[in-house]
Amino acid sequence: MLARVAESLYWMARYLERAEDTARLINATTMLLMDMPRGASFGWEDLLKVVGLAEPFHKLYDEASESAVMSFLIQDERNPSSIFACVRHARENTRTFREVLPRESWEWVNELYLYTSTHKSSALDRRKRMEVLTEIIRRRQAVVGLLSGTMSRDEAFQFMRIGRNVERADMTSRVLDVSYAVNLPLRGSQAVLNLNQADLVWMSVLHALSAHQMYRRHVGVHAKGYKVIHYLLNDPQFPRSVRHCLVELQASLAELPGEGAQQPVILLLRELDTVDGRKLAESGLHAFCDRIQAGLAELSVAIAHTYFSAAYSDALTQKQFSLT
Amino acid sequence: MLENRQLMKRLFPELFARYDVLPVDSYTAQLYDMLAALSPRSGDRPEIAVLTPGVYNSAYFEHSYLAQQMGAYLVEGSDLVVLDDDCVYMKTIEGLTRLDVIYRRVDDDFIDPEVFRADSTLGVSGLMRAWKAGKVGIANAPGSGVADDKVVYAYVPQMIEYYLGEKAILPNVPSYLCMHQEDCDYVLANLDKLVVKPANESGGYGMLIGPKSTAEEQATFARLIRENPRNYMAQPTLSLSTVPTLCDGVIEPRHVDLRPFILQSKDINVTRGGLTRVALRRGSLVVNSSQGGGSKDTWIVQGVI
Repeated sequence: MLARVAESLYWMARYLERAEDTARLINATTMLLMDMPRGASFGWEDLLKVVGLAEPFHKLYDEASESAVMSFLIQDERNPSSIFACVRHARENTRTFREVLPRESWEWVNELYLYTSTHKSSALDRRKRMEVLTEIIRRRQAVVGLLSGTMSRDEAFQFMRIGRNVERADMTSRVLDVSYAVNLPLRGSQAVLNLNQADLVWMSVLHALSAHQMYRRHVGVHAKGYKVIHYLLNDPQFPRSVRHCLVELQASLAELPGEGAQQPVILLLRELDTVDGRKLAESGLHAFCDRIQAGLAELSVAIAHTYFSAAYSDALTQKQFSLT
Repeated sequence: MLENRQLMKRLFPELFARYDVLPVDSYTAQLYDMLAALSPRSGDRPEIAVLTPGVYNSAYFEHSYLAQQMGAYLVEGSDLVVLDDDCVYMKTIEGLTRLDVIYRRVDDDFIDPEVFRADSTLGVSGLMRAWKAGKVGIANAPGSGVADDKVVYAYVPQMIEYYLGEKAILPNVPSYLCMHQEDCDYVLANLDKLVVKPANESGGYGMLIGPKSTAEEQATFARLIRENPRNYMAQPTLSLSTVPTLCDGVIEPRHVDLRPFILQSKDINVTRGGLTRVALRRGSLVVNSSQGGGSKDTWIVQGVI
């Protein structure tokens, strides 16, 4: 498989995953804000922190009003992580490797792009938002389903699976880290919250990752901090838990030639083995999530080095590679 | 051709039940076999790639489609490298993998900056060196673009006689080569009746269609021909056939021509179908897709049931 194509596949999957995760996060936040007691500190500014985009946002906008933040996260092309920018990038990438995907894939990705392009501005309106973002999620899921049902588990497929899981693990660790941090002030004033509202703080973290339903089913109806932390980091069955993403990554990497990217995954899994949810709920969650993020960054570098580097070098000599 | 057939099957399945239309699907498999026969190495599965100028080329869809149908790589110049051993390598996730055959859709001028245009970013440095050393097969062979020179066309009956010792079965369209003084005088005297074509253009550009031209256009062409006679040839205006064509909801006659697909390596394969190109403007003879021409599915029918 060409290194350039492998890299495009990887990024196409990351972009699509990011677009969907952002759409889910916005939907969850919009719902949550309606439940929050008046005076609670969580706001649109915090959503920007969760997705790690507070700084670029303030370079372009003054105030983190709902309309500004929504425009920035949904349709602003100056934000490379906005839903529209992600979908557009994914579409541009897909154009360059149509020959390795099932034939309908391009049409479906293109339709996702066309839908997003025509409806993105109506998603700014709270009344329409849920409907439009849900449709974007649905269309992205249709692409995932198409590939899952018609594509060989070949190298091209593995690179997409890798991109999806790297992005997903990154999102989960970030939401866990930052939501918890921005919820702290709320936790400090627990005296004014009744029991359900204390649950609400952790439930919001689960909602942001579309994990609430599965958590309730498999763990319990009350969102206890240490249980939520354990669930999102270590649950072997939930597809957005960091552990699940890493196991998927390990399986995909095993299907590919070269071993350079396997070690970072093993190290991350070892890190997860040491997790004690109760301890992390007390302190150290931020530092732990930082380590996970650093590990994922190392993994990205290792993947690029192992598989994509050939695309960038004309000075390769034959000796460097075992030829097939 | 292949897409047209797909569409017709979707829209008129009942016709295919009534007529024994010969399938065209085998084109890509034949193309693969033809390319595989060019491989410099023996082995069951040579590494074959379609070399495209990239997504901004108007034929990119076709390049991608052919690669997809053949299960071949679709590569751009930057995906390939020629090393000191004169072999061509692809930059893959496993490092460098040797490539055996290139179906190139990049023009001669751009194919190798080491030999031709040095500013080309579409080609591969050293490709001609590898080809010369017999380390890679290239189709079409560099230089075969000479056949696109419309002046060459006039010599085809002579080529047939020279190589095969036979007379051509199909007559040529009478052609006047402006590089011959006698022909040139005739062309200049009859600009209002002839179609004048430049030798090295494609896509139906830079032509004079005599009967439909103004005196001014004829004067311009007379000047162009005198300046560079080698670059022009002329033919009588052909009355291309017409077929019924749906135009804005009404069926009207439109001019067509037929482009056959012939693959040659060890054997020669003529695809049992072809691309019928149609001039969509009323009365127009310009069928080229770059000038708004359309295309039609073309059937070769075994027998009517």
